[in-house]
Amino acid sequence: MGALEFKDVHKSFGAVRALRGVSFSVASGEAHAVVGENGAGKSTLLKILAGIARPDRGDILLNGVRFDHASPRDALAGGVGMVFQERLAFPNLTVTGNIFAGREITFAGGRLNHRAMRERTQALLADLRVPVDPDLEMAHASAATAQLVQVARALAFDCRVLVLDEPTTSLTDAEVDHLFRILQELKSRGVTLLFVSHRLPEVFRLCDRITVMRDGGFVGTFERASTTPEAIVHAMVGREPPARVDRAMPAMSAEPVLAVRRLSRTPWFRDVSLEIRPGEIVGLFGLVGSGRTELLETIFGLAKPTSGTIVVRGREVAFESARDASRAGLALVPEDRQRLGLHFNLPIRHNMALPRAAREGLGAIRGAREQQSAAALVSSLGIRAASINVTPDALSGGNQQKVVAAKWLATEPSVLLLDEPTKGVDVGAKFEIHNLIRERAAAGMACLVVSSDLPEVLSLVDRILVMREGALCGELAAAGATDAAVMQLAAHEVAVTA
Amino acid sequence: MTSIWRAREFSTVLILLAEVLFFAWYLWPEAGRSHPFLNSGNFLLILKYSSIYGIAAIGAAVVIISGGIDLAPGAIIALTTVITGYLFVEAGWPLWAGASVGLMVGALAGLLSSWLIVRMRLPPFIATLGVMGILRGTAFIITEARFYDLSAKLPRNWHIAGISIDWLGPAVMIALAVVFQRLMTGYQWGRSVSAVGGNETAALFSGIPVNWIKTTTYVLSGTLAAVSGVVLAVVQGQGKADLASGYELDIIASAVVGGASLVGGRGSVAGAVLGALIFGVLRNALPQIPGATFYDRLIVGVVVIGIVVMDQMLTRRSGNA
Repeated sequence: MGALEFKDVHKSFGAVRALRGVSFSVASGEAHAVVGENGAGKSTLLKILAGIARPDRGDILLNGVRFDHASPRDALAGGVGMVFQERLAFPNLTVTGNIFAGREITFAGGRLNHRAMRERTQALLADLRVPVDPDLEMAHASAATAQLVQVARALAFDCRVLVLDEPTTSLTDAEVDHLFRILQELKSRGVTLLFVSHRLPEVFRLCDRITVMRDGGFVGTFERASTTPEAIVHAMVGREPPARVDRAMPAMSAEPVLAVRRLSRTPWFRDVSLEIRPGEIVGLFGLVGSGRTELLETIFGLAKPTSGTIVVRGREVAFESARDASRAGLALVPEDRQRLGLHFNLPIRHNMALPRAAREGLGAIRGAREQQSAAALVSSLGIRAASINVTPDALSGGNQQKVVAAKWLATEPSVLLLDEPTKGVDVGAKFEIHNLIRERAAAGMACLVVSSDLPEVLSLVDRILVMREGALCGELAAAGATDAAVMQLAAHEVAVTA
Repeated sequence: MTSIWRAREFSTVLILLAEVLFFAWYLWPEAGRSHPFLNSGNFLLILKYSSIYGIAAIGAAVVIISGGIDLAPGAIIALTTVITGYLFVEAGWPLWAGASVGLMVGALAGLLSSWLIVRMRLPPFIATLGVMGILRGTAFIITEARFYDLSAKLPRNWHIAGISIDWLGPAVMIALAVVFQRLMTGYQWGRSVSAVGGNETAALFSGIPVNWIKTTTYVLSGTLAAVSGVVLAVVQGQGKADLASGYELDIIASAVVGGASLVGGRGSVAGAVLGALIFGVLRNALPQIPGATFYDRLIVGVVVIGIVVMDQMLTRRSGNA
């Protein structure tokens, strides 16, 4: 009998069938992975488990007993602790305050027992070997600390099942190692782990069994020992990944379309110089916080450099705004598509028209042209949407990302800046986005791709620039570069600290 | 999206019709007496007074769609009546000149709000609350507890091009509603207003001049409030510092009842005007119900909440929350 059992769980949101009869069981004390593309239903499953959503049909059994819980509070009381993907923390509360939020230890009269909570926090953090002050305000804690505080919160209430949703997305490799050591230890103490991740290497490293979901349904549960990452990917996608688009190497003799000379913006980056030629794909690799996003935003006119120059097609430029940069032929596909890329109140047809229209001014909208352009982009980028009149929330993460790319491709830029273009998108969409970038480069667009995904960098780009602590620290030709060579340039000892 | 908005405005029209039918039935007179509500004179009266709110609500809706809020319209209306009244009655200027200065003051008030919001980075609620106080205070300082009697200097039974002056407000309201509904749906400016209200950062990243868009919305709101002020001064024949007190909330409520979301990104100009008419009918009909005098504010409050709750339930059901 499993510690946790899903029995024919159904859930629909309006017309969207998010879960269509999912059944599988998680054995007591095992580390069990749930993988699947975006839109496979993993998030919905977790929401039901956490008590945020209720299933339309079906049951969840916890140690054989029907787990009937109406809220996250009930779930926690029932021994199911959740560590969410987003930084679901109260930045204005201390670490202690975060751990006990909603379930504070109090004296008989209801007055908060600060000392007891603080001591318990200290014990928990020592147990997890997180060297952080219990009185530290959460706003000042690193992403890794924030994740571990969530783990500590789950443990504070003696959970027997710990659910982790993409817990490593914003962690460095060293921080991932630390988290995994702790998870292994918890497992050896008999805690059941349910691990949801896009990163198959991590899944294979931590988990005993792997359940694959696709399109809201259950595909199968695989023993780690008797399967391969390729088999899992195949089960997730349910089809062969699209073939790689090949392209000719760009002519290195051409004049650079974008040149950055000794560009600095304190305190984020300093003395960065780089050049990109038409048709080139240049990768900008580095650890989280190495200043890459800030560099792209500065090039794109969203912030002013403290010194240095930006040269576009041989002419020095000083952009006052994104609009100036866009008029000069630059485009930026930002990392955080929800916050920086999309308008959820507007249909994707309007979303895709915004940058070009903003560049042209505030005049009348030519509806027919806008409609044609949107339809053309949707078909050429393979955006899967019910129509061009739906809002972005009706699309999966990968298709949302394509909409953000589309709105900038509509401006026909000569330089495309991409910040983590495949973060949080599924395997199939990732291939498609890579092919899209290659196609555009083959057509003469210069692409500067910021990525923390090493395999992506190695397979996609022509040259790799490595950034560390705000400075460029090396350049490699992608052909022949190895993981180790790139990491050696980018890495330095990163301890898990506040 | 356009179809959704159309549907939303359609439901506002239905509410208005239902309201009119209700009062027509409830206030049905005994045989032989004329209907106190259902007659053309009364409808003109409703239109005339609704237009004071309706014109300002157009600007308020645009500000709300852009994700902001403007608390100054009531004070701008009062100050405009005072300035127009002073220049026309005391300084002996022609009416059009006094009104023009009033309109300019409204635009400047909007500019001040937007400067506080865009440059000084004050939250719109605080900025416009402050501006509201400054303007209302200015109106009191100018009048020193007097008021300007425009009616004495205005022609009696005034017609312009054969049309009674009573039609001034409704005509201006309808014309402005048509123009701004078109600007909001068919022009890049309106699209940008929605984009800024929906996601300001993404708008900035898209190259939309966010600060400029915000400035235009507050200047528009200030100017249209001043238009309301001029209409009020002419229709009521008064320039007085305590006119239009509390109107800012009724104006915001008109926009919200007409479908504007205070979170930004959603709403329409036509809806705001219809919202103003819904309130206009209530304000006109309730006092005619014997014994309802003390209930009318309460009923207005319940109606606001009822309409917005119903709207939310409808949007949720259509899966478009």
